[in-house]
Amino acid sequence: MEKNVHDIVIVGAGLAGLRAAVAAVEVGNKLSIAVISKLHPLRSHSVCAQGGTAAVMREGDSFELHAWDTIKGADFLADQDIVEFFVRQAPKEIINLEHWGCPWSRTPDGKLDQRPFGGHSFPRACFAADMTGFHEMHTLYGKAVTYDNIKFYDEWFATSLIVEDNSVRGLTAIDLKTGEMGVFQTKAVVMATGGHERIYEFTTFSHSSTGDGMAIAYRAGAPLEDMEFVQFHPTGLVPSGVLITEGARGEGGYLINAKGERFMKNYAPKMMELAPRDIVARAEETEIREGRAFKGPYGPYIALDLRHLGEDKIKERLPLIREVCIKLVGLDPVNELIPIRPAAHYSMGGIRANIRAETPIRGLYAAGECACYSLHGANRLGTNSTAECLVFGAVAGEEAARYAMSTELRSLPMDKALAEEKRVFDGVLGSEGSERVPEIRREMRQVMNTDVWIYRTEEGLKRALRKIRELRERFKHIKIEDKSKSFNTALTSALELDFMLELAEVTTYCALMRTESRGSHYRLDYPNRDDKNWLVHTLAYYTVEGPRLEYTPVTITKWQPTERKY
Amino acid sequence: MSGEGEKIIEFRIKRYNPAIKRHYISTYRVPVRRGTTILDCLLYIKENLDETLTFRYSCRMGICGSCAVNVNGKPMLACYTQVFDLKSDILIVEPLSNLPVIKDLVVDIEPFFKKFNKVKCVLIKPPESFKRVEEFIQSPEDHRRYWDLTLCTKCMSCYSACPAAIDDRFLGPSALATNYRFAIDSRDEGIEERLKTITESAWLCTSCNSCTLFCPKLVDCSTSITESKSLLVESGMIPRTAKDILENVMRHHNPYGIHQSKRMGWAGGLNIRAYPSVTRADVLCFICCSAAYDTRNMEIARAMVSVFNSLGVDYATLGEEEWCCGDHILRMGEKGLYEMLAEHNLDILQKFNANRIITISPHCYHTLKNEKPYKDLNLNVQHYTQFLAELLDKGALKPKGEFKGRVVYHDPCYLGKRNQIYEEPRRILQSISGLELVEMRRTKEGSFCCGGGAGRVWTEDAEPEKRPCVNRVKEALELEANVIAVACPFCTTMLEDAVKILEVENKIAVKDILEILKETL
Repeated sequence: MEKNVHDIVIVGAGLAGLRAAVAAVEVGNKLSIAVISKLHPLRSHSVCAQGGTAAVMREGDSFELHAWDTIKGADFLADQDIVEFFVRQAPKEIINLEHWGCPWSRTPDGKLDQRPFGGHSFPRACFAADMTGFHEMHTLYGKAVTYDNIKFYDEWFATSLIVEDNSVRGLTAIDLKTGEMGVFQTKAVVMATGGHERIYEFTTFSHSSTGDGMAIAYRAGAPLEDMEFVQFHPTGLVPSGVLITEGARGEGGYLINAKGERFMKNYAPKMMELAPRDIVARAEETEIREGRAFKGPYGPYIALDLRHLGEDKIKERLPLIREVCIKLVGLDPVNELIPIRPAAHYSMGGIRANIRAETPIRGLYAAGECACYSLHGANRLGTNSTAECLVFGAVAGEEAARYAMSTELRSLPMDKALAEEKRVFDGVLGSEGSERVPEIRREMRQVMNTDVWIYRTEEGLKRALRKIRELRERFKHIKIEDKSKSFNTALTSALELDFMLELAEVTTYCALMRTESRGSHYRLDYPNRDDKNWLVHTLAYYTVEGPRLEYTPVTITKWQPTERKY
Repeated sequence: MSGEGEKIIEFRIKRYNPAIKRHYISTYRVPVRRGTTILDCLLYIKENLDETLTFRYSCRMGICGSCAVNVNGKPMLACYTQVFDLKSDILIVEPLSNLPVIKDLVVDIEPFFKKFNKVKCVLIKPPESFKRVEEFIQSPEDHRRYWDLTLCTKCMSCYSACPAAIDDRFLGPSALATNYRFAIDSRDEGIEERLKTITESAWLCTSCNSCTLFCPKLVDCSTSITESKSLLVESGMIPRTAKDILENVMRHHNPYGIHQSKRMGWAGGLNIRAYPSVTRADVLCFICCSAAYDTRNMEIARAMVSVFNSLGVDYATLGEEEWCCGDHILRMGEKGLYEMLAEHNLDILQKFNANRIITISPHCYHTLKNEKPYKDLNLNVQHYTQFLAELLDKGALKPKGEFKGRVVYHDPCYLGKRNQIYEEPRRILQSISGLELVEMRRTKEGSFCCGGGAGRVWTEDAEPEKRPCVNRVKEALELEANVIAVACPFCTTMLEDAVKILEVENKIAVKDILEILKETL
């Protein structure tokens, strides 16, 4: 087995991973840093982020206000010390990207422009038209490749972490080009692998967002935090689920039901379409359930109306979503309504990490969507996630670098790497059952979409849990028809499904156990927020029988929970 | 998938099995309806018909650049292309060109990024600038100047279609466009370094426009490469070979460096009417320097005379007053020199009274029709194939004799890709009895450049294997054609060169359509 030795290995090359790499090298320019990703960095899901990145940049806005908006948006489940740190760091990250060449959109006087976004009480989303994540990614990649000591392992598929005595020793990954498994010996690992929303059928996420890093860390002993909190974005394009940015509403777009009403007036009379996502998504779902949605060949839908914005504004501020509508559904938002409905969009939960991005495993750091600090609590505000990737990507990179510089490389237990090789190639690829990966994946996505969706009940969650456990059983009897080595995407799809089943179980189980409604987690059988019993984070630990849950208090510095109205 | 408007499409996918190093074709039948993309079909095949089919994909919204493949000879993003829009019941799907194949539709992207990453994709400024804790000031106008060029996803569609990319020295259309994007960013101060990055590379571009044509994000790579060359010219960073051409044009008003008094040398004994002794004719023939000075290509001009005489066309030329139209010069980035040529030609053109201008070369056609300052005059200009196709339709042109042969037509870029003239040349060829017209795999919009544009016809210096013309002639040979028909003197030069390099003169000949027609009179 090929062995590569580095001081730091970053898994995932989206916004958080690339930012971590650049930050690490700036702390220790002698460090040897590996960035491994199952995709070329520029193919990462971060390029799909559209609307903007939140940061306090102007007179009239304040850290205090950004923090309050975030905490209220989070339905008070955010750790407030994390939020306060985060809002202070965000502006520096905007300027960093500006220095490296990010083509931020401008005001007439040549400064960075900012647009309104849901749940934010000040227009604080810096943006590059409606391709913000795309431009941030291309800028960061351009910066990262200027360093000789960052080595990119593009198209390497990580499969497991090697941990001994609760400290990281290395990890295993498959080089897709050769199909061989390699092992990385390292002092520190930064997980930056993104979310797991592909466990759902209708999602804004790239096909590649399968939560690999969360599952890998979980299996290695790191707890997953608050996994029941999945954000549903109000505007997933029908039928594909492709994201239509909240920026479309930030620029003034309306949500319309089949009666032609701006129905948000009944749910959030003050903020209307710019209420936080959990509220808007629930409003849409209610309109659908109560029969006020449009009917189409792909089921009921809500309409996003941009027509009154005019062609010029749409072309200048929202060119990508216009192009996407034309290319994918053959309609031009300048003249037509966009068919949308809520789509699984973001995981507030993830690998538990502290303000230094450290997980409970020594040498293991987490950044971006795969991590949970908890910054977003029970509901994330739009534009806070790209900001989080930058802020905590930098923290993770810096902290990992300091750790790597102060510690010796420890021995790598090769037996663990060899056992993993056996699990993947003999166990998964060699499995000679009769179950098919696409079929199990389809059934998993269906049940998640039905029973672990916006409105949840005990009955539905139990049904989903049974189904997922059945699917996990069936997964043991799969047969992969492609037995080849090089670029075996049938094998990687199976490994991804294995990770997703693990995470679907955790998500569902945590949702079942939380008997209250808070933020994105809404229980029809427990419709109220219950601060007395549930102002706590869920921690899920891996056991062979399934997740074991613990609960831990929320950090509150100065903002006491109040009723949440918009 | 079922219901109204459903249709079955046949997918023929070019596969590669790396374990046994074998290429093969797999055929699948896929149900599609309005809205179904190529990627949906590939996923349908993988999930339902054949799990071994391998391809890249991720965002399925045209932004991650993973899924570019060639469909019916043209590169496109699988996720951003609806099957119905291709208007074909059979789709041939192949991996991108110009990159080694790893497996099936998956190509090795490393060579592409190795080149791409030679372009510095961060702002270059003196270190003290970065101490600033606020944004740099950039007006919306300055932002707009480069914005469209920032949309490149590095999907490699341009690279796959690019004739210059077969040469390792060429960084690729997207790399050059991105380099230019930074060069014109008002925040950037690294122009010298940026020009150095592309000094060798930029001149290899043939300005065939394929990159621009196939970019899913409408990034105009081709123009930005020309503009980059203008910056190089302004800084005097011009390679010797290109400099010679520009000096020839400066001195003699044609790239061949022969005195203008010899311009009518091709017409020896033909008694051609010409300006200034004639100032009025139905048709003004714009001959092109290549047909006027290149001994081989004089035959094309002479063939035109035979054809026009036989048709009784009332025509004349500008004689010694026709200067180079300036197309190659413009594409080489020498805007000032181009303007000088254009001003002269415009002056003479205004003194001549003709109902239409007919060009032999697609390059003259394109420039007279579409480039300022010619464009402002709204000249009634046609390429000769358009003119002859009109006469064919009217029944005036009736090729009498036979032309025995298997003929493949090579679309010149400036006729096809730049002006969408695909049918007229084919109609003329099809009107000739005995002539069997066959099509190359890369045809029409997907045609592969001969390598002669933007002055490359005079400056090309690559080894034979890396010359687009050699690549192209091989494609014609695969079809067992015995004639490559062309409608551009530069294509004639390049492809004939390749025939000689490959030593296949006994197998295949390069002929202009005019020459073929002449044989049938």
